[in-house]
Amino acid sequence: MTHSLHRSGDIESQKKDFNWFMYQTKGINDVNIRDKALEFIAAAEAVGSENWGDVKTGPITRYSSEAIKAKITDKSRIRGVFTKREQVRQFLTRIKERELGMSVVITGVLDEVLPACEEAGVIPHSINYSLGVWGKKDKLPDETTLSITTMCGHHMIPPKFVRHIMRQVEKGRMTPEDGAIQLANFCYCGIFNQVRCAEIITAHTKA
Amino acid sequence: MAAINPEKCVGCKICQIYCTVDAIYAQGNKCAIDQDRCTECYVCLRQKVCPRNAIEPVALDGFYKQFQHVMSDPVENHGVTGVTGRGTEEVKTNDVSGRVKRGQVGICIDMGRPGYGVYLRDAEKVAMACAAAGVRLAPAEHTPLAALMPDRTTGKLAEECLHYHLLSVIVEGTCREDQLAGVLKALQQVEKEIDTVFSLGLILRMDEKGKNPTLACLDELGIPQPHRGKVNVGLGRPLCLE
Repeated sequence: MTHSLHRSGDIESQKKDFNWFMYQTKGINDVNIRDKALEFIAAAEAVGSENWGDVKTGPITRYSSEAIKAKITDKSRIRGVFTKREQVRQFLTRIKERELGMSVVITGVLDEVLPACEEAGVIPHSINYSLGVWGKKDKLPDETTLSITTMCGHHMIPPKFVRHIMRQVEKGRMTPEDGAIQLANFCYCGIFNQVRCAEIITAHTKA
Repeated sequence: MAAINPEKCVGCKICQIYCTVDAIYAQGNKCAIDQDRCTECYVCLRQKVCPRNAIEPVALDGFYKQFQHVMSDPVENHGVTGVTGRGTEEVKTNDVSGRVKRGQVGICIDMGRPGYGVYLRDAEKVAMACAAAGVRLAPAEHTPLAALMPDRTTGKLAEECLHYHLLSVIVEGTCREDQLAGVLKALQQVEKEIDTVFSLGLILRMDEKGKNPTLACLDELGIPQPHRGKVNVGLGRPLCLE
């Protein structure tokens, strides 16, 4: 799955949007991962990860940190969001020091991610580069909607739900921040950037 | 699968805004699910979007129906690869698995993404185009689509699965770095022949300085250089040096 890779929207907005991941490799280091997962979460929380979660439970926008931690199993996938390059640097520095041996992935705009790696003293092993969308692009929703729906790479956020939320904001029935949380709750993984989403909603509504 | 119980449905149409692929439609004064278009993503069920609980689960009948659901609902683990989401590891654990080695390019084609969905007949067209251009399609222990592919050297899928609609599925494989331009040309051709979209990822192994010049060929093909990437930072152990 490449669910954090193909985000869209304004580049300057994407520069405030990073995803962090901890991965276990099947058959090699995928047993008794709980303590390591908790160390990843601790490092992410220490540098202010704005959202995080486990696909098996859900995101912290919907569930408490303790509830998610309590349900971690060897099948869990722990991941989250940063909004600043400095958080990426600090997170990688902490994880490198701990020598946990789990695979670590950071997704984002390469002009931001690669300098953060260098500053943290880690050398990229492999990169999955996004070459964007191909095929019948005229079938897709408008760019603003896509810039929000693509923040859930599994596409659990329906385009019509995005437009519904934006209408609610325009009518003054909810704030952009509350609307962003409602959308974030549909992304089970916790990689939806609700901070960026609220900024997009604000920029594209007459709230 | 999911179905709307007409005894409970009051026709409020609230559910329609929550369908990821616009498969819920009005039928008289009730709502119904287009079972041909539904991907079994279960958003309508998991999010409990119906105020009358009229959307109900129905047993998934047979292997292809279950495959459709597992591929479309990220909460499920794929039975063979053991991975949630779309069931593949791609670059995530490449520092340990060594799936894409130096001199290779990992081809990672997210069919139906972003958010439009894909009939497997279109995934087959792209898989066959890749195979013909020299891509070695990934085996079943690495990627779910291979379970529907009797012959990975051609990319052809089992005939009986072609009409299934998934939220997305990944066509995955590797080629040599010197084959990449040919593979991209094949994709430039087949993108005109499908009735959906795909998002393309290319996985490259970096050198000791974190560099790889292979993407220079994009310029000759008129393909913009990528600005986004999913970076495996090499902290997994045991570290694959190949």
